[in-house]
Amino acid sequence: MKRIVIAAGLATLMATSAMSQEIGATISRFDDNWLTVMRNGMTEHAASLDGVSLQMEDATDDLAKQIDQVTNFVASGVDAIIVNIVDTSAGAAITAAAGDTPLVFVNREPDNVNELPATQAFVASNEIESGTLSAFQVCNNLRADGKAGGARGYLMNGQLSNQAAVQRSKDVHDIINIDMCSFMTLIDEQTANWSRDEAQDLMTNWMSSGEPFDFVLANNDEMAIGAIQAMKAAGMDMADVQVGGVDASQDALLTMQAGDYDVTVFQDAFGQGAGSVNTALALVAGETVDQKVYIPFKLVTPANMDDFLSKN
Amino acid sequence: MTDTSHGTGGLTFDKTKRSWPNEMNILFALIIIVVIFEIMGQVLPYMNDQSFLFDTRGRFDSIFNEARLKIIILQVAIIGIIALGVTQVIITAGIDLSSGPLVAATAMIAMSFAQTELVNGNPNPKAVFGVWAMDLPVLLPVVVGLLFGAMIGAINGTFVAYFRIPPFIATLGMFLILRGIALWWTEGRPVSFPTEGYKFLGSGMMPVVWFLSLAAVFHVILRYTVYGKHTYAIGSNEEAARMSGINVKRHKVMVYMIASMLAAFAGVVLSAKASTAQAGMGEFYELFAIAMAVIGGISLTGGRGSIIGTVLGAMVLGVIRSGFTFVKLDGSYQLMAMGGIIIAAVILDQYRQRNRA
Repeated sequence: MKRIVIAAGLATLMATSAMSQEIGATISRFDDNWLTVMRNGMTEHAASLDGVSLQMEDATDDLAKQIDQVTNFVASGVDAIIVNIVDTSAGAAITAAAGDTPLVFVNREPDNVNELPATQAFVASNEIESGTLSAFQVCNNLRADGKAGGARGYLMNGQLSNQAAVQRSKDVHDIINIDMCSFMTLIDEQTANWSRDEAQDLMTNWMSSGEPFDFVLANNDEMAIGAIQAMKAAGMDMADVQVGGVDASQDALLTMQAGDYDVTVFQDAFGQGAGSVNTALALVAGETVDQKVYIPFKLVTPANMDDFLSKN
Repeated sequence: MTDTSHGTGGLTFDKTKRSWPNEMNILFALIIIVVIFEIMGQVLPYMNDQSFLFDTRGRFDSIFNEARLKIIILQVAIIGIIALGVTQVIITAGIDLSSGPLVAATAMIAMSFAQTELVNGNPNPKAVFGVWAMDLPVLLPVVVGLLFGAMIGAINGTFVAYFRIPPFIATLGMFLILRGIALWWTEGRPVSFPTEGYKFLGSGMMPVVWFLSLAAVFHVILRYTVYGKHTYAIGSNEEAARMSGINVKRHKVMVYMIASMLAAFAGVVLSAKASTAQAGMGEFYELFAIAMAVIGGISLTGGRGSIIGTVLGAMVLGVIRSGFTFVKLDGSYQLMAMGGIIIAAVILDQYRQRNRA
């Protein structure tokens, strides 16, 4: 029986691809929660493909080590390399170390992303989507609540020096500038440094002015949860205010399940992992691939949150 | 020899030099800052004549905007608890830089013993230990946290007192070690979903209750007990304190232990307030705690400073934070203003000291 299965497996292998493909991958750190989900996406997807073997290495946040790993992969003759780069400003060094071997950067955008050679590509989610999806859904919800005549609210920024924070806040401004959502106005925006406890204090400060408001948008879930905690502590009914964030963390999903949180956005770790393997194989096969492959963010609301409870 | 120097071997412990005049100045500065924000509320065109401290919309029974009064103190209460400890360390001419990361490490460790087994009926997704560590009585995580703080304080104090490592270096080393411990404890994952009992420790105005009652306790201890007198004596002149029979080393260890236990307690209250513990918590708390003491008129060379001053220093930072949100200026201006005020506080204080001398 076993022999038949192996024979059948070999037959399909012969039929689909002429020879087996070896991929070497180096991940900036194995103990990161989110990256672990991404890593599992790579492993499981590779296992589901015939003749693809994946060798995974931990760079332990050490750039020099990661460059050595890439060089070693090249020396041992792998067909393709996947890199979750330790330091985004070292893109050129990684690119050079790979030489002619096809290489895919995953999740973290290297600084040389616009100058990659034809044998290299970048797979991640486009940060432009996350803040936009969240703010637009809040806009729709406010309309559904009959507040299209005018809605006022607050925006909580992440660390002002962080690129994702700046982009997500810009997304919010862009959304409230489109005609459909121009009924939304921001009373104020301030940073709460991604942090839940700072967001609690900031929200309480805002509420102390006594201005009525209809929505709170935050650059991440932690700050949105902090805002919710502060509003509940002040006795507000969470049905009267729309709260939107980004991340779809476990804490956020359970807050949503309790009926307090309205909108968040899921960054697809598993999808990015699988996508990086697909892109690597396409490069090996010599197919023309987009040099920036974007795995879409996914909107999460109470309607579909159950699909995400076990992810990330 | 004044009557306040009893039991300190003749070291000066002159109440007139450290009490009312200085603290009245801080109170005065506090009022000036409030008035400035009050004026900005009236003058700035986009503010629509709002009042900073007074209730202009008939929302409260009193004439004050009670919500504002509450948040002014609530947002500095947790760092304020740390400041009570660092005040005592600075009075002995020491410094404690390890309190911020201690807040994070204690939050992570204590919260691990304060989790609930079920969250809306689901198993707790952030569980650190097995079911045995779930739904424990609230006292347990608090005791674990305080013991951890006491241990760290004992190590800090031993390095400073017995190994003669400068406090800045000893606590800087501990700063890094504790940030490492906070990260290592769960490999960076947050610890969330505490029991209702644990949440209560940080709910509503509880942080303020802790802050003000601990402030009252340590005010009395520093002013009226032998512990207090020895603390000031060591800071004024360590050699003289030793000659007069004070066990300087043991006393220093005790001061660092008390400071670290207060910081650890702040970590418990912070994680209870946020219902989560994260390795990055308490960033810059050690510096803001020192800033509160400095604005409160403490001398970094030791021997001078008070709990009341530190509480007022905390209030100054609280008013600034609320004020900048009130006039809708963003965080960058707030940091610049806080920095300016800290330096101004020291300049004014030095000027006053010189004039008196």
